[in-house]
Amino acid sequence: MDHVIKPFLVFILAITGLMAGAKGDEPPAERYKGLMKEFSQTARGLYEAKSDEERMAVAEKMVKLTPQFMELGEKTPEQAVAMDGLTGVVVQEIWMENNTLYPGKEKDNLEDRAISLLLERYIGSVKLGEVCTRVSYGFRKSCETLLRTALEKSPHREVQGMACLRLAQFLNNRMRRMDLLKDKPEMARRYQVLFGKDYLEGLDRMDRGVTTKEVEVIFERAAREFADVKLPYNGSVGATAKLELHEIRHLSVGKEAPEIEAADEDGKPFKLSGYRGRVVLLYFWSEY
Amino acid sequence: MVGVNIVATDPKKLKAVVEKEKVNWLSVCATEAMKAEWNNPGTPSFYVIDHRGVIRHKWLGVPGEHAMDAALEKLIGEVPGGGRKEPE
Repeated sequence: MDHVIKPFLVFILAITGLMAGAKGDEPPAERYKGLMKEFSQTARGLYEAKSDEERMAVAEKMVKLTPQFMELGEKTPEQAVAMDGLTGVVVQEIWMENNTLYPGKEKDNLEDRAISLLLERYIGSVKLGEVCTRVSYGFRKSCETLLRTALEKSPHREVQGMACLRLAQFLNNRMRRMDLLKDKPEMARRYQVLFGKDYLEGLDRMDRGVTTKEVEVIFERAAREFADVKLPYNGSVGATAKLELHEIRHLSVGKEAPEIEAADEDGKPFKLSGYRGRVVLLYFWSEY
Repeated sequence: MVGVNIVATDPKKLKAVVEKEKVNWLSVCATEAMKAEWNNPGTPSFYVIDHRGVIRHKWLGVPGEHAMDAALEKLIGEVPGGGRKEPE
Protein backbone atom coordinates (compact mmCIF):
# COMPACT_ATOMS: atom_id res chain seq x y z
CA MET A 1 0.00 0.00 0.00
CA ASP A 2 2.83 2.30 1.04
CA HIS A 3 4.48 2.30 -2.34
CA VAL A 4 1.23 3.36 -4.02
CA ILE A 5 0.63 6.36 -1.77
CA LYS A 6 4.16 7.77 -1.87
CA PRO A 7 4.40 8.51 -5.60
CA PHE A 8 0.91 9.96 -5.42
CA LEU A 9 1.97 12.35 -2.61
CA VAL A 10 5.04 13.41 -4.53
CA PHE A 11 2.84 14.13 -7.51
CA ILE A 12 0.46 16.28 -5.43
CA LEU A 13 3.36 18.22 -3.90
CA ALA A 14 4.78 18.86 -7.37
CA ILE A 15 1.45 20.19 -8.62
CA THR A 16 1.01 22.45 -5.56
CA GLY A 17 4.53 23.77 -6.12
CA LEU A 18 3.70 24.60 -9.72
CA MET A 19 0.51 26.38 -8.72
CA ALA A 20 2.31 28.45 -6.11
CA GLY A 21 4.85 29.44 -8.76
CA ALA A 22 2.06 30.51 -11.11
CA LYS A 23 0.46 32.61 -8.34
CA GLY A 24 3.75 34.40 -7.71
CA ASP A 25 4.02 35.36 -11.38
CA GLU A 26 0.52 36.76 -11.59
CA PRO A 27 0.56 40.54 -12.27
CA PRO A 28 -0.21 42.41 -9.00
CA ALA A 29 -3.24 44.19 -10.49
CA GLU A 30 -4.76 40.79 -11.41
CA ARG A 31 -3.87 39.41 -8.00
CA TYR A 32 -5.70 42.35 -6.38
CA LYS A 33 -8.79 41.78 -8.54
CA GLY A 34 -8.75 38.09 -7.64
CA LEU A 35 -8.52 38.90 -3.92
CA MET A 36 -11.40 41.37 -4.14
CA LYS A 37 -13.49 38.75 -5.92
CA GLU A 38 -12.67 36.22 -3.23
CA PHE A 39 -13.60 38.81 -0.58
CA SER A 40 -17.04 39.49 -2.07
CA GLN A 41 -17.76 35.78 -2.59
CA THR A 42 -16.79 35.01 1.00
CA ALA A 43 -18.84 37.99 2.24
CA ARG A 44 -21.88 36.64 0.39
CA GLY A 45 -21.32 33.32 2.17
CA LEU A 46 -21.98 35.06 5.47
CA TYR A 47 -25.50 36.05 4.45
CA GLU A 48 -26.19 32.51 3.25
CA ALA A 49 -24.82 30.89 6.44
CA LYS A 50 -27.53 29.36 8.61
CA SER A 51 -25.83 28.88 11.97
CA ASP A 52 -23.21 30.59 14.14
CA GLU A 53 -20.78 27.78 13.30
CA GLU A 54 -21.22 28.42 9.60
CA ARG A 55 -20.80 32.15 10.14
CA MET A 56 -17.63 31.57 12.13
CA ALA A 57 -16.32 29.34 9.33
CA VAL A 58 -16.84 32.22 6.89
CA ALA A 59 -14.96 34.57 9.21
CA GLU A 60 -12.09 32.04 9.51
CA LYS A 61 -11.88 31.87 5.74
CA MET A 62 -11.97 35.62 5.40
CA VAL A 63 -9.33 36.33 8.00
CA LYS A 64 -6.81 34.50 5.78
CA LEU A 65 -7.32 37.08 3.03
CA THR A 66 -6.08 40.04 5.09
CA PRO A 67 -2.37 39.08 5.06
CA GLN A 68 -2.61 38.55 1.30
CA PHE A 69 -3.93 42.10 0.79
CA MET A 70 -1.18 43.29 3.15
CA GLU A 71 1.51 41.52 1.14
CA LEU A 72 0.29 43.25 -2.03
CA GLY A 73 0.27 46.56 -0.21
CA GLU A 74 3.74 46.21 1.25
CA LYS A 75 5.64 44.52 -1.55
CA THR A 76 4.17 45.65 -4.86
CA PRO A 77 6.36 48.23 -6.56
CA GLU A 78 3.40 49.58 -8.58
CA GLN A 79 2.14 52.31 -6.28
CA ALA A 80 -1.50 52.31 -7.42
CA VAL A 81 -1.87 48.58 -6.78
CA ALA A 82 0.04 48.81 -3.49
CA MET A 83 -2.36 51.49 -2.27
CA ASP A 84 -5.32 49.33 -3.34
CA GLY A 85 -3.81 46.42 -1.40
CA LEU A 86 -3.51 48.50 1.80
CA THR A 87 -7.04 49.83 1.28
CA GLY A 88 -8.17 46.20 0.84
CA VAL A 89 -6.78 45.37 4.29
CA VAL A 90 -8.79 48.23 5.81
CA VAL A 91 -12.01 47.41 3.92
CA GLN A 92 -11.87 43.76 4.82
CA GLU A 93 -11.01 44.23 8.51
CA ILE A 94 -13.75 46.84 8.99
CA TRP A 95 -16.23 44.58 7.23
CA MET A 96 -15.33 41.78 9.64
CA GLU A 97 -15.63 44.08 12.66
CA ASN A 98 -19.11 45.15 11.58
CA ASN A 99 -20.51 41.86 10.30
CA THR A 100 -18.90 38.97 12.14
CA LEU A 101 -18.04 38.05 15.71
CA TYR A 102 -14.43 37.42 14.79
CA PRO A 103 -12.57 39.05 17.65
CA GLY A 104 -9.66 40.54 15.68
CA LYS A 105 -6.34 41.38 17.30
CA GLU A 106 -5.50 44.03 19.83
CA LYS A 107 -1.76 43.97 19.11
CA ASP A 108 0.04 43.60 15.73
CA ASN A 109 -3.20 44.49 14.04
CA LEU A 110 -2.90 44.55 10.26
CA GLU A 111 -5.52 47.28 9.93
CA ASP A 112 -3.42 49.61 12.10
CA ARG A 113 -0.31 48.74 10.09
CA ALA A 114 -2.07 49.31 6.75
CA ILE A 115 -3.40 52.68 7.96
CA SER A 116 -0.01 53.89 9.12
CA LEU A 117 1.49 52.87 5.74
CA LEU A 118 -1.32 54.64 3.87
CA LEU A 119 -0.53 57.84 5.80
CA GLU A 120 3.21 57.46 5.38
CA ARG A 121 3.16 56.78 1.64
CA TYR A 122 -0.10 58.11 0.19
CA ILE A 123 -1.03 61.29 2.06
CA GLY A 124 -0.63 63.07 -1.30
CA SER A 125 -3.01 60.73 -3.17
CA VAL A 126 -6.45 61.90 -4.22
CA LYS A 127 -7.67 58.33 -3.67
CA LEU A 128 -7.33 58.85 0.09
CA GLY A 129 -10.85 60.37 0.04
CA GLU A 130 -12.32 56.94 -0.63
CA VAL A 131 -10.28 55.46 2.22
CA CYS A 132 -11.77 58.15 4.51
CA THR A 133 -15.26 56.89 3.66
CA ARG A 134 -14.25 53.31 4.41
CA VAL A 135 -12.68 54.06 7.79
CA SER A 136 -15.68 56.08 8.95
CA TYR A 137 -17.38 52.71 9.55
CA GLY A 138 -14.41 51.50 11.59
CA PHE A 139 -13.85 51.28 15.32
CA ARG A 140 -10.14 51.62 15.93
CA LYS A 141 -8.14 54.62 17.07
CA SER A 142 -6.05 54.35 13.89
CA CYS A 143 -9.19 55.18 11.82
CA GLU A 144 -9.57 58.45 13.72
CA THR A 145 -5.85 59.20 13.20
CA LEU A 146 -6.22 58.66 9.45
CA LEU A 147 -9.21 61.00 9.24
CA ARG A 148 -7.61 63.76 11.34
CA THR A 149 -4.33 63.55 9.39
CA ALA A 150 -6.06 63.58 5.98
CA LEU A 151 -8.12 66.61 7.07
CA GLU A 152 -5.07 68.60 8.10
CA LYS A 153 -2.40 67.40 5.68
CA SER A 154 -3.91 66.28 2.39
CA PRO A 155 -2.97 68.64 -0.44
CA HIS A 156 -6.36 67.98 -2.11
CA ARG A 157 -9.39 69.98 -1.02
CA GLU A 158 -11.77 67.16 -1.99
CA VAL A 159 -9.87 64.72 0.26
CA GLN A 160 -9.92 67.24 3.12
CA GLY A 161 -13.67 67.76 2.68
CA MET A 162 -14.34 64.05 2.69
CA ALA A 163 -12.08 63.58 5.74
CA CYS A 164 -13.92 66.36 7.59
CA LEU A 165 -17.38 64.87 6.96
CA ARG A 166 -16.27 61.31 7.66
CA LEU A 167 -14.42 62.29 10.86
CA ALA A 168 -17.63 63.78 12.28
CA GLN A 169 -19.56 60.66 11.22
CA PHE A 170 -16.90 58.39 12.73
CA LEU A 171 -17.06 60.21 16.09
CA ASN A 172 -20.86 60.19 15.97
CA ASN A 173 -20.96 56.43 15.21
CA ARG A 174 -18.56 55.81 18.07
CA MET A 175 -20.80 57.69 20.47
CA ARG A 176 -23.80 55.60 19.37
CA ARG A 177 -21.80 52.42 19.95
CA MET A 178 -20.88 53.59 23.42
CA ASP A 179 -24.59 54.08 24.12
CA LEU A 180 -25.24 50.57 22.83
CA LEU A 181 -22.55 49.27 25.15
CA LYS A 182 -24.43 50.64 28.14
CA ASP A 183 -27.47 48.56 27.09
CA LYS A 184 -25.44 45.48 26.24
CA PRO A 185 -22.53 45.05 28.66
CA GLU A 186 -21.78 41.62 27.12
CA MET A 187 -20.35 43.50 24.12
CA ALA A 188 -17.61 45.03 26.30
CA ARG A 189 -15.08 42.24 25.81
CA ARG A 190 -15.39 42.39 22.04
CA TYR A 191 -15.12 46.19 22.07
CA GLN A 192 -12.02 45.93 24.23
CA VAL A 193 -10.32 43.83 21.56
CA LEU A 194 -11.48 46.12 18.76
CA PHE A 195 -10.68 49.43 20.43
CA GLY A 196 -7.80 48.39 22.68
CA LYS A 197 -8.11 48.41 26.48
CA ASP A 198 -6.72 51.92 27.16
CA TYR A 199 -8.73 53.45 24.38
CA LEU A 200 -11.94 51.85 25.59
CA GLU A 201 -11.30 53.16 29.11
CA GLY A 202 -10.72 56.60 27.64
CA LEU A 203 -14.05 56.40 25.82
CA ASP A 204 -15.73 55.37 29.03
CA ARG A 205 -14.55 58.58 30.71
CA MET A 206 -15.63 60.63 27.70
CA ASP A 207 -18.20 63.33 28.38
CA ARG A 208 -21.19 62.90 26.09
CA GLY A 209 -21.99 66.61 25.96
CA VAL A 210 -18.42 67.58 25.06
CA THR A 211 -18.22 64.92 22.35
CA THR A 212 -21.58 65.89 20.84
CA LYS A 213 -20.33 69.48 20.67
CA GLU A 214 -17.11 68.36 18.96
CA VAL A 215 -19.11 66.34 16.40
CA GLU A 216 -21.31 69.39 15.72
CA VAL A 217 -18.29 71.69 15.29
CA ILE A 218 -16.72 69.30 12.74
CA PHE A 219 -20.01 68.93 10.79
CA GLU A 220 -20.31 72.74 10.81
CA ARG A 221 -16.79 73.05 9.43
CA ALA A 222 -17.65 70.50 6.69
CA ALA A 223 -20.78 72.48 5.77
CA ARG A 224 -18.91 75.82 5.79
CA GLU A 225 -15.56 75.02 4.19
CA PHE A 226 -16.29 72.04 1.95
CA ALA A 227 -19.96 72.45 1.03
CA ASP A 228 -19.43 71.91 -2.72
CA VAL A 229 -17.20 68.81 -2.46
CA LYS A 230 -19.07 66.02 -4.21
CA LEU A 231 -19.61 62.59 -2.72
CA PRO A 232 -18.73 59.63 -4.98
CA TYR A 233 -22.30 58.46 -5.68
CA ASN A 234 -24.59 61.39 -5.06
CA GLY A 235 -24.94 64.49 -2.94
CA SER A 236 -22.30 66.73 -1.49
CA VAL A 237 -20.37 67.14 1.74
CA GLY A 238 -22.39 70.29 2.54
CA ALA A 239 -25.83 68.72 2.07
CA THR A 240 -24.90 65.60 4.06
CA ALA A 241 -23.36 67.64 6.89
CA LYS A 242 -26.55 69.75 7.13
CA LEU A 243 -28.73 66.62 7.39
CA GLU A 244 -26.47 65.25 10.12
CA LEU A 245 -26.63 68.55 12.03
CA HIS A 246 -30.43 68.58 11.76
CA GLU A 247 -30.52 65.02 13.10
CA ILE A 248 -28.36 65.96 16.11
CA ARG A 249 -30.22 69.19 16.88
CA HIS A 250 -33.82 68.14 16.32
CA LEU A 251 -34.15 64.37 16.06
CA SER A 252 -31.96 62.98 18.80
CA VAL A 253 -33.05 61.52 22.11
CA GLY A 254 -33.91 64.33 24.54
CA LYS A 255 -35.11 66.78 21.85
CA GLU A 256 -38.69 67.91 21.42
CA ALA A 257 -40.26 65.93 18.57
CA PRO A 258 -40.91 68.09 15.49
CA GLU A 259 -44.59 68.73 14.76
CA ILE A 260 -46.47 66.53 12.32
CA GLU A 261 -49.55 67.99 10.68
CA ALA A 262 -51.12 65.73 8.11
CA ALA A 263 -54.28 63.90 7.10
CA ASP A 264 -55.04 60.48 8.57
CA GLU A 265 -56.37 57.53 6.56
CA ASP A 266 -59.93 58.94 6.69
CA GLY A 267 -58.78 62.39 5.58
CA LYS A 268 -59.22 63.83 9.09
CA PRO A 269 -56.55 66.30 10.29
CA PHE A 270 -53.87 64.87 12.55
CA LYS A 271 -51.50 66.81 14.82
CA LEU A 272 -48.73 65.10 16.75
CA SER A 273 -48.82 67.83 19.42
CA GLY A 274 -52.49 66.88 20.04
CA TYR A 275 -51.11 63.75 21.72
CA ARG A 276 -49.30 65.59 24.55
CA GLY A 277 -50.04 63.81 27.80
CA ARG A 278 -49.77 60.41 26.10
CA VAL A 279 -46.84 58.24 25.11
CA VAL A 280 -46.62 57.90 21.33
CA LEU A 281 -44.87 55.20 19.37
CA LEU A 282 -44.27 56.80 16.01
CA TYR A 283 -43.60 54.31 13.27
CA PHE A 284 -42.40 55.30 9.80
CA TRP A 285 -43.36 52.58 7.40
CA SER A 286 -43.94 51.90 3.74
CA GLU A 287 -45.70 48.99 2.13
CA TYR A 288 -43.58 46.62 0.08
CA MET B 1 -49.25 53.88 18.05
CA VAL B 2 -49.22 56.23 15.09
CA GLY B 3 -47.87 55.01 11.76
CA VAL B 4 -46.71 57.45 9.13
CA ASN B 5 -46.73 55.90 5.70
CA ILE B 6 -43.92 57.68 3.93
CA VAL B 7 -45.03 56.56 0.47
CA ALA B 8 -48.72 57.50 0.53
CA THR B 9 -49.45 61.23 0.35
CA ASP B 10 -53.19 60.96 -0.34
CA PRO B 11 -55.69 59.63 2.27
CA LYS B 12 -57.56 57.52 -0.33
CA LYS B 13 -54.41 55.71 -1.36
CA LEU B 14 -53.40 55.35 2.28
CA LYS B 15 -56.78 53.85 3.15
CA ALA B 16 -56.38 51.28 0.38
CA VAL B 17 -52.95 50.27 1.68
CA VAL B 18 -54.18 50.18 5.28
CA GLU B 19 -57.02 47.86 4.29
CA LYS B 20 -54.84 45.66 2.10
CA GLU B 21 -52.15 45.28 4.79
CA LYS B 22 -54.75 44.94 7.62
CA VAL B 23 -53.01 47.70 9.57
CA ASN B 24 -54.42 48.11 13.08
CA TRP B 25 -52.83 51.40 14.12
CA LEU B 26 -53.75 54.97 13.26
CA SER B 27 -52.17 55.80 9.92
CA VAL B 28 -51.18 59.23 8.71
CA CYS B 29 -50.15 60.41 5.23
CA ALA B 30 -46.70 61.82 4.63
CA THR B 31 -46.19 65.42 3.50
CA GLU B 32 -43.07 66.90 1.95
CA ALA B 33 -42.66 69.33 4.87
CA MET B 34 -42.89 66.53 7.39
CA LYS B 35 -40.43 64.34 5.51
CA ALA B 36 -37.93 67.20 5.49
CA GLU B 37 -38.51 67.91 9.18
CA TRP B 38 -37.90 64.24 10.04
CA ASN B 39 -34.84 63.92 7.73
CA ASN B 40 -36.57 61.68 5.21
CA PRO B 41 -36.81 58.74 7.58
CA GLY B 42 -35.85 55.29 6.36
CA THR B 43 -38.35 52.50 6.91
CA PRO B 44 -38.92 50.90 9.21
CA SER B 45 -37.93 53.36 11.90
CA PHE B 46 -39.45 54.05 15.30
CA TYR B 47 -39.48 57.01 17.66
CA VAL B 48 -40.85 56.84 21.18
CA ILE B 49 -42.19 60.23 22.31
CA ASP B 50 -43.03 60.82 25.97
CA HIS B 51 -46.03 62.65 27.41
CA ARG B 52 -44.22 66.01 27.21
CA GLY B 53 -43.49 65.54 23.49
CA VAL B 54 -39.80 64.68 23.99
CA ILE B 55 -38.06 61.98 21.92
CA ARG B 56 -36.92 59.32 24.38
CA HIS B 57 -35.92 56.43 22.10
CA LYS B 58 -35.27 56.00 18.42
CA TRP B 59 -34.60 52.87 16.48
CA LEU B 60 -33.67 52.50 12.84
CA GLY B 61 -34.93 49.02 12.04
CA VAL B 62 -36.91 46.80 14.36
CA PRO B 63 -35.45 46.79 17.91
CA GLY B 64 -37.33 43.66 18.98
CA GLU B 65 -40.65 43.43 20.80
CA HIS B 66 -39.08 43.22 24.25
CA ALA B 67 -37.05 46.46 23.96
CA MET B 68 -40.05 48.31 22.59
CA ASP B 69 -42.51 47.06 25.23
CA ALA B 70 -40.08 47.79 28.07
CA ALA B 71 -39.46 51.34 26.81
CA LEU B 72 -43.17 52.06 26.41
CA GLU B 73 -44.15 50.62 29.79
CA LYS B 74 -41.51 52.70 31.54
CA LEU B 75 -42.64 55.93 29.89
CA ILE B 76 -46.34 55.21 30.43
CA GLY B 77 -45.46 54.85 34.12
CA GLU B 78 -44.04 58.41 34.07
CA VAL B 79 -47.28 59.97 32.81
CA PRO B 80 -49.20 61.85 35.48
CA GLY B 81 -52.60 60.15 35.79
CA GLY B 82 -51.63 56.93 34.00
CA GLY B 83 -51.27 58.10 30.39
CA ARG B 84 -53.86 55.88 28.76
CA LYS B 85 -56.48 58.56 28.13
CA GLU B 86 -57.73 59.30 24.61
CA PRO B 87 -56.40 62.41 22.87
CA GLU B 88 -58.62 65.48 22.85
